[in-house]
Amino acid sequence: MSDSKQQPLNNKVVEVMVKTILRKNGVQPDEVKNNIPEEQKQMIKEMVEDLKKQVEDFQQNQAKDKSE
Amino acid sequence: MTIYRHSEYDFDLSRGKGDRYSYFMEEPLRSCSCGHSCSGKCSNESSNRPTDTRAESDFTSNNNAFEMQEGTELSFMDQESAELIWVKESCNITVSSTDTQIGVSLQAALQLAIALVLNISIADGTQRDAVSQELTQNFNMAQKNKQKIFIYNTKDAVVTTRDTDLALNLQLMLQVLVALLLLVEIL
Repeated sequence: MSDSKQQPLNNKVVEVMVKTILRKNGVQPDEVKNNIPEEQKQMIKEMVEDLKKQVEDFQQNQAKDKSE
Repeated sequence: MTIYRHSEYDFDLSRGKGDRYSYFMEEPLRSCSCGHSCSGKCSNESSNRPTDTRAESDFTSNNNAFEMQEGTELSFMDQESAELIWVKESCNITVSSTDTQIGVSLQAALQLAIALVLNISIADGTQRDAVSQELTQNFNMAQKNKQKIFIYNTKDAVVTTRDTDLALNLQLMLQVLVALLLLVEIL
């Protein structure tokens, strides 16, 4: 990966993949939504934001090393 | 100066180590009693042992391979990177090599997060196992990265080595996680 901004797979592709897998296994996203309590949603959201940041930092570090 | 770094990561977040099976091996074509060349079990063959034959023809025609497994294969990742840098009869050489350890722990964290979200959002255990297995199957991979650098009779050189495979994989897992969350409307 030459540019850290570039994604290995288009977001849409991943979305379709996940959606297909869920549907194939009979999972209804609408149903799932109501299964999760609001506070848990908040926690997951924070966790994912955190992970996202870590991954970005990691990739930026790599890009930085490269340009040096 | 000789630097040798070798690391092997073996991830298996499932309960214990699972055996991996590959079910899609092509069997050689063979001619059989029906006169056709058939792969694996002949579809035209009359069945002498009904139960047996049924199981086997399902085996070759059903593409839901995970149903045939013992449910132990979740996410398996095998990474190996080896670096050998040899500097000989030289001076003023700067060598920097990226340490992938942070990346590896990040990868484990991402896997854990995906499993967690699935755990919370899908109540049915069997359904959850199937979904999680299929999702992680898409980024099962084995990576091997070997670098050998030999510097001889050199002055004032800067050498940088890098392992980019990991970064790519991390990005992919993050994308899956985000897509999953978007679907269940957490983000």
